[in-house]
Amino acid sequence: MAITRRELITTIAKAGGTAAVAVTVGTETLQAETETTRIPSAAVGLLYDATICIGCKACVSACSEANDTPPDTRADGLHQAPSDLNDLTRNIIKLYKSPDGSQVSFVKRQCMHCLDPACAAGCPFQALHKDPESGIVFWYGNRCIGCRYCSITCPYHVPRFQWVGFDPVVTKCELCSKRLEKGLKPGCTSACPTGAVIFGPRPVLLMEAKRRIKENPGRYYKDKVYGETDNGGTQSLYLAKVPFDDLGLPELGEESVPAKTLRWQRRFYQYFAIPAVLYAGLVQVIRSNLTGYEEEAREREKQTGLRAQL
Amino acid sequence: MASSEKPERTIQSHLEAAGVSRRDFLRLCSVIVATAPAGLALTKAGSAAEVASKIGKARRPSVIWLHFQDCTGCTETLLRTSAPDAAHLILDIISLDYHETLMAASGAQAETALRQAMDDNAGKYVLVVEGAIPTRDDGVYMELAGRPAVQVVKEVASKAAAVIAIGSCASWGGVPSADPNPTGAVGADTVISGKPIVNLPGCPPNPYTLLAVVLEYATMNRLPELDELRRPIFAYERVIHENCPRRAHFDAGRFAYAFGDEGHRQGWCLYKLGCKGPATRASCSTRHFNEIPGVWPIGIGAPCLGCTEKNVVWRMSTVETVPIHLATPPDEYPPIYSGTGSIKAGAALLVGAIAGAVGGASWVAAQRFRSSEEAGAERIAVDRAHLEKEAEAAKREAREWKKEEAAAAKEEAVEWKRED
Amino acid sequence: MNAITTSQFKAENRWERAVPVFGFPVVTHFFLFQLALALVAFVLTGYRELAGLGPVSGMTDAFGWGIWKTFNVMVLTALGSGAFAVGIAAWVFKREKLHALMRMALLTSFLAYACGLALLAIDVSRPWNFYWILFPWQWNMHSPLAEVAICMSVYAMIPLAIENLPPLLERLWYFDSRLRPGVEKIEKKLHSVFPYVIALAYLLPGMHQSSLGALMLLAGERVHPLWQTPFLPLLYIWAACFMSFGCVAGTTMLCCMVWKRAMDMEVLDEAARITCGLIYGWSALRLLDIAFREQFGTAFHFDRFAGVFWLEMLLILGGGYLLQRSLRTHEKDKMFLGYVLSTLGGMIYRFSPTTLAFRPNPQALYFPATIEVLVSLGFIALGIAGFLVAVKRFAILPAPLYEWHDMASYFRFRRPYIRWTGYFKYGFFGEDEKIENNSH
Repeated sequence: MAITRRELITTIAKAGGTAAVAVTVGTETLQAETETTRIPSAAVGLLYDATICIGCKACVSACSEANDTPPDTRADGLHQAPSDLNDLTRNIIKLYKSPDGSQVSFVKRQCMHCLDPACAAGCPFQALHKDPESGIVFWYGNRCIGCRYCSITCPYHVPRFQWVGFDPVVTKCELCSKRLEKGLKPGCTSACPTGAVIFGPRPVLLMEAKRRIKENPGRYYKDKVYGETDNGGTQSLYLAKVPFDDLGLPELGEESVPAKTLRWQRRFYQYFAIPAVLYAGLVQVIRSNLTGYEEEAREREKQTGLRAQL
Repeated sequence: MASSEKPERTIQSHLEAAGVSRRDFLRLCSVIVATAPAGLALTKAGSAAEVASKIGKARRPSVIWLHFQDCTGCTETLLRTSAPDAAHLILDIISLDYHETLMAASGAQAETALRQAMDDNAGKYVLVVEGAIPTRDDGVYMELAGRPAVQVVKEVASKAAAVIAIGSCASWGGVPSADPNPTGAVGADTVISGKPIVNLPGCPPNPYTLLAVVLEYATMNRLPELDELRRPIFAYERVIHENCPRRAHFDAGRFAYAFGDEGHRQGWCLYKLGCKGPATRASCSTRHFNEIPGVWPIGIGAPCLGCTEKNVVWRMSTVETVPIHLATPPDEYPPIYSGTGSIKAGAALLVGAIAGAVGGASWVAAQRFRSSEEAGAERIAVDRAHLEKEAEAAKREAREWKKEEAAAAKEEAVEWKRED
Repeated sequence: MNAITTSQFKAENRWERAVPVFGFPVVTHFFLFQLALALVAFVLTGYRELAGLGPVSGMTDAFGWGIWKTFNVMVLTALGSGAFAVGIAAWVFKREKLHALMRMALLTSFLAYACGLALLAIDVSRPWNFYWILFPWQWNMHSPLAEVAICMSVYAMIPLAIENLPPLLERLWYFDSRLRPGVEKIEKKLHSVFPYVIALAYLLPGMHQSSLGALMLLAGERVHPLWQTPFLPLLYIWAACFMSFGCVAGTTMLCCMVWKRAMDMEVLDEAARITCGLIYGWSALRLLDIAFREQFGTAFHFDRFAGVFWLEMLLILGGGYLLQRSLRTHEKDKMFLGYVLSTLGGMIYRFSPTTLAFRPNPQALYFPATIEVLVSLGFIALGIAGFLVAVKRFAILPAPLYEWHDMASYFRFRRPYIRWTGYFKYGFFGEDEKIENNSH
């Protein structure tokens, strides 16, 4: 029985349309819950003030020590001189100089512990997982397959992969969780001599940042705390006097990267409703086409005397 | 310098009797505070005056100083202070009851003096050992009054309250223990057991370190905190590299590469010349020698030899660079974005070759399509014709074979009939 | 020379049956060269497993994905979407003529997916943790990469493999009469589940080919705006459709030319028509989308991104144009070139967002290392070698009916000692087979 294109489309539309619409509408209300970024109950983070930082790099040494990582001396064999975050460097101080040399600022780069992390959204088996209480994004080696998707999806390019050896790991700041368990502060904040980077609960840090902005008008770029709502909110907050984009912190808007880019993907696969509907439709169509095809094949078999090739 | 007086008076009263000015004494105490700003109970109070009052209340500690395989440099370092009164002052504070270099006696008198000092202060004196102790061949390579050094040191230590091994030789063997170590020279702590021992390695070590340790013992009745090699932590915790005045040059990558070159003249870092600072624990980089700032090896442009460390000095070549165990960031900053990646020639050639091969093959194939359009159909026809011919031949063969089979079967049937 | 030759439209040139390629040995210089490349790739893979990714590839922190994931997985599986695209055209949209190409499509798809999955396994650096695929609660269904990995593995191992069974079973049926009852039982079972398997074989590629596009959505601004669009999944799967048509039809044309088979222009015209339509539709969508996002100006900057963009569009549209011309004038060379160009353009398109159009930071550059290229090439060579063997041992390449009979004669007369190619026992003008057919 030949099925025309029109019949095919109407079949799928009838059989699946109502269901699909219902599911999509239903998911809109459900999606609303998953799409607004949830702030963890005991969210902790860092507040880095680039106007106080003197670029001493004590935090870089302290980070290596706190995480039991050997210092990265691959550049010249003598100094711990990584040029960027890498598999031995979870925290780095970079220097920004404006093209005309008038503006200078240090910036401390480490994991931003986003409220809706793109790395965790992309990780196939949830090897990168945001702790629901502290909000720290941890890497679990027993689930990581080493696909490096996290280093591509992270808008701040934080997770770094180990490029040598047969057992590579993904390295990034985890807010010295082992020290936190002992009641200590993270290595970088403990070593900072000027208090440029401080540790605390996120609401407290936000309050502190806003207080500094209020008490120092004109000191901070656009009176803005980077990370309050950027990329859906991050737990590492930044204050600076030069544009954040120049420091390597891109302008991402208020929606997190996963929410912004994967919206339709998430809706399409919600509960596998739409794929299931498509599958049912396809089975119907193919079954009806298959019978016609088989009949023709049998006829040809009789004509030529050769076994049918299905 | 041995005094037959029993040191019962306090240091304060003794100094007063000796006519030492309070200013000189306070000056010495401030040097002690500078020597050990942390790590000593004595200097925990902080100010020189407080230290002075603590020292003043204590009794003059009795010190017996033995020499073994030494060069007497450690004694000289105690005496060669640039302010001569300081040396006298030191010797007024401690009661040096036996010292072969400094005492007037010799021979049998010296023997008696030692015996006397030991008996008078038994269990209370501090034994300072200078020089290594030979142990090979029952210790015959150094004898004191006919007795092997090993025996002497054990005997004198047996009645001491504490032992201070001053200098690298006494701490771990020093120069005499360099390869091939013919005399079996070892440090004091190898030979002495059962007594608290403090090692003060160095060649020579800072005299104020010795003074601080002795005074800590005298005033607080305890020895300072020691590390696993029995060195006081307040003086031997950090490596030279950590506090070196030339560290900024190291961090900035400014090195002297040959003696007398531009970098050397500018006072740049001596790491590339073989400075053992990064591997040597000592206090020389903060406390220079002879109380004159800048008078210390690196300060005058001579790379550190690592004289306190057993595994460094006389084991490593002087020009050999030592690995940095705790690397720290340099005096440079990475930019916000750093460039990575480059195009390797070999890979580029390979990719180009593949692209060229694919393109070329496609073009050639397309051409053959064009030319084979005409030829193809005929070729098929030709092949078919040939095969058809062969098929006909086969059919004929099969028919003939069938005929033969039939004939043969008939004959067989006839034969069978015949047999029946 | 370019005139229509009537022989092309003779009834005897119609593709009625898939026939194994006979008369050409499997072991040729070309085949051995492919095996040598594959061997080199195996050795280098061993080195890669021990040494890590840094020494064997040009991948760095900036470019975390080299050419293995982006070329062998993203591009080659697009070429291998023939089972999906040609299949949907044949089974769902009832393009009867395309059934002749189905076996070729299935074989090329299987080999392309095998190559892609092999390289996915090699590229992934902690493969021992892949067992989590068996625990659905640990899957991150928000992740496009999870969807790709799981879907692709399931697809290649189940529906695609099952769809590739018929030629195998057919050969077994001809090979030994003792196997026939078993073979027929399996075939009956297959037929009963065919609709479900085929439907799955169309659903799953639809899902993961579009998810391959969704992968780079998460990279956001780092993909150049000429490529980055919310329509990326749709554009990817659409490109997979016309690329795979090009791959299947082009490969079939090439095989027919090399092994001197007749080409059925009706089927090829049908395929070309569909491909043309797909190409024009895709190009329209892409250009409209760029215009809508007001990014068309960037196509006129003098940088490498604009260069790649124009290269892609020229190749794809040029290919489409050539295909259209060849429909009118029936020139096989134009048709073939049209397929090649449009497929190449599609390959570059699918490859760009991860490498050519990816700008993680203004300074970073990526170029594959020699070992990386050799491994990629070696596994492709393995696929080609597999194809050569399969096409000569199984009935895959379509041909007119007389080819079957010629094959039977060939084996009967030229190589009667090859007993294990059971094809030769039957098909001698169909006489004996008729007898066998009456038995069931």
